[in-house]
Amino acid sequence: MSSILELQNLKKYFATQKAVDDISLTVDRGQIFGLLGPNGAGKTTLIRMITGIFYPDEGNIIFDGKKFDPINDTIGIGYMPEERGLYKKMKIGEQALYLAQLKGLSHKEALEKIKKWFIKFEMESWWNKKVEDLSKGMGQKLQFVTTVLHEPKLVILDEPFSGLDPVNSNLIKDEIFRMAQNGTTVIFSTHRMEQVEEICNHIVLVNKGQKILDGSVAQVKQDFKENLFSIGAENIPEQNGLAPFEMIRNKESNYVVRIKEGHKPNDVLTYLIQQGISVHSFNEILPSLNEIFIRLVEGTPTARQFQTI
Amino acid sequence: MKKIWLIIKREYLTRIKKKTFIISTLLFPVLYALLIFGSGYMASKGGRKLTIGVIDSSGYFTSDKLDSENRKDSSSVLVSVNMQPDSVKNNMEKLNIDGYIVIPVQNDWKNGFHLRFKTEKTLGVEATMPASNKLNNIWNEVKNEKLGVSDSIRQQMDASKVSIAAININDENASSEIAALIGFISAFVIYLILLIYGSQVMMGVVEEKTNRIAEVMVSSVKPFQLMLGKIIGIGLVAITQFFLWIALIFIVYNITNAAGQSSDSMSQMVGQVQKVFTSINIPMIIFFFVFYFLGGFFFYSSLFAAIGSSINEDMREAQSLSFPVQMPLIFSMIMISAVMHDPSGPVAFWGSIIPFTSPVVMMVRIPFGIPGAVPWWQIGLSMALLVGGFVFTTWFAGKIYRTGILMYGKKPSWKEMIKWAFRRN
Repeated sequence: MSSILELQNLKKYFATQKAVDDISLTVDRGQIFGLLGPNGAGKTTLIRMITGIFYPDEGNIIFDGKKFDPINDTIGIGYMPEERGLYKKMKIGEQALYLAQLKGLSHKEALEKIKKWFIKFEMESWWNKKVEDLSKGMGQKLQFVTTVLHEPKLVILDEPFSGLDPVNSNLIKDEIFRMAQNGTTVIFSTHRMEQVEEICNHIVLVNKGQKILDGSVAQVKQDFKENLFSIGAENIPEQNGLAPFEMIRNKESNYVVRIKEGHKPNDVLTYLIQQGISVHSFNEILPSLNEIFIRLVEGTPTARQFQTI
Repeated sequence: MKKIWLIIKREYLTRIKKKTFIISTLLFPVLYALLIFGSGYMASKGGRKLTIGVIDSSGYFTSDKLDSENRKDSSSVLVSVNMQPDSVKNNMEKLNIDGYIVIPVQNDWKNGFHLRFKTEKTLGVEATMPASNKLNNIWNEVKNEKLGVSDSIRQQMDASKVSIAAININDENASSEIAALIGFISAFVIYLILLIYGSQVMMGVVEEKTNRIAEVMVSSVKPFQLMLGKIIGIGLVAITQFFLWIALIFIVYNITNAAGQSSDSMSQMVGQVQKVFTSINIPMIIFFFVFYFLGGFFFYSSLFAAIGSSINEDMREAQSLSFPVQMPLIFSMIMISAVMHDPSGPVAFWGSIIPFTSPVVMMVRIPFGIPGAVPWWQIGLSMALLVGGFVFTTWFAGKIYRTGILMYGKKPSWKEMIKWAFRRN
């Protein structure tokens, strides 16, 4: 059993929107899974069904090999929603303790784990402070700790880095990597494609309630590549139709070319060498996820329109 | 269940530890006492002390007689004035009087007097009452003299009177005065607690919403558990505060007693309360009080919770949305006096059957006696309907709550909220 979560034909319709319209996907154990999509694509609704906040209208959720049971399985899930919040007037230590106990930890267990995490994140002095005394970034750290404290099998993070400085971002990023290494699955929802590229190994792109892309980051990039290469060379003269590539642009001694249909990168190199041009670099240009995202989602109105069902 | 318990504990402890709780617990009895004594004081001293000039042409109301009446009652002063009415009218300020009465010559004493109190102020019946009493006292003496009634005969006449006291055949111990007092106090306390703590529930839900913690919470617990935990937790705070008030009253009473100030009006009032607690069927009253208190609390606070969940950050919405929920509570408060006058009449009956008003109205009726004022079947029906009522409102509110708590943006209409309640899931 390698998949921790399997969604089968999940549907959730609201009065004016097909928020989630027949989405199926599989998340493997230990994966860092990117759930991407423009605003209003249905990501939050999808996550709320996975966390048991909403019930799907149709379809099944298989969690850890069994049918998802919202009451007993929530201990296996840690969820940090995009709309974050804590009880402002509560002391930080008590707050963490309360949330951990609600997840099912005993008082003693919770206390031990909180202390460990507070030391790790250098938050020991915060214990008796109130949440309202914290800055946004500090609150974010606390929220992250309360999300992962009970060592869930599945951690769902919705925009976890918003409002964090680079140092704290890295702290949490490292923690995400460490958790994944220990077998925890992380579902990571964001619009920030450079973070997805850096962190995720598998992505799903959702738009208008439907899944439009599903694959590993490397695979997706391969699928969307346009046979573009960047060549660093002395001087490539204007090409005639015989060359196995066409020039896209050049800037100083850096050329971007597209390899013609039916040719291979080696053909380009052979051609250049035959021309007596000295090549000092030759790299494939893969599209960034950002470009792929924009290409796929382009044409979708920026705000999702209401529809009748 | 364990999760509900955790929520109850948090709701309870965070509120109990707040400074405002401690202050309000200590301050409320003081304010309440002030209110009672203040209104009592105003009732007794509120009527102004009038100085009235008496221009007597009849010869019956002499200066001596007026003075002796003034000594008996100082709430007004009658002064004999030997001047013409017209000049008195122009010299009232100089004479230091608020007005004057002209007593004409009366040839036939049997006709009595119809007098006018002439003043520059607009006064009611109560203001002239002390003066009229005094003149009547003097006049009675005059009449007694004329009729040859001696003091001893008059005393005998005053002593023998007809009086009526209502006694309930089924429960001869039930005094309707004490019953009315207890009924009023319990109903008022329930009303107050439902209103104060109902809005606390609402504010608590709004707080969760504006702090955006609601989504974190409902990923660990079911929204219904969260709502119920909050309601029970705050209910316990209300009970705690109530018992602290009772305890405080008894402590104050015993301290003032020990200090030998039993004549002090504060301890008198407290003593009255204590007397009341010992003179009637306390276990019964307490049982019903707790029942109607809890029933009413669940009934109303779940509605308040539903309202809270539908409110966005704007507190003005709370005002307008919670008003329809407060209405029946306020209405039941208005019904109290009618119910006290006629504890088994139709107003009392319907008010104590319908769950919107029954927590307050039934508590007014019960001290008048079961089954004298309230037949058993009425109590049974009322209790069953209240239980049914709060099961329904909690269910209904839970449905609205679940949708509302994650809803941000525009203020929902009542129609939408009802739609949430009846949606499949």
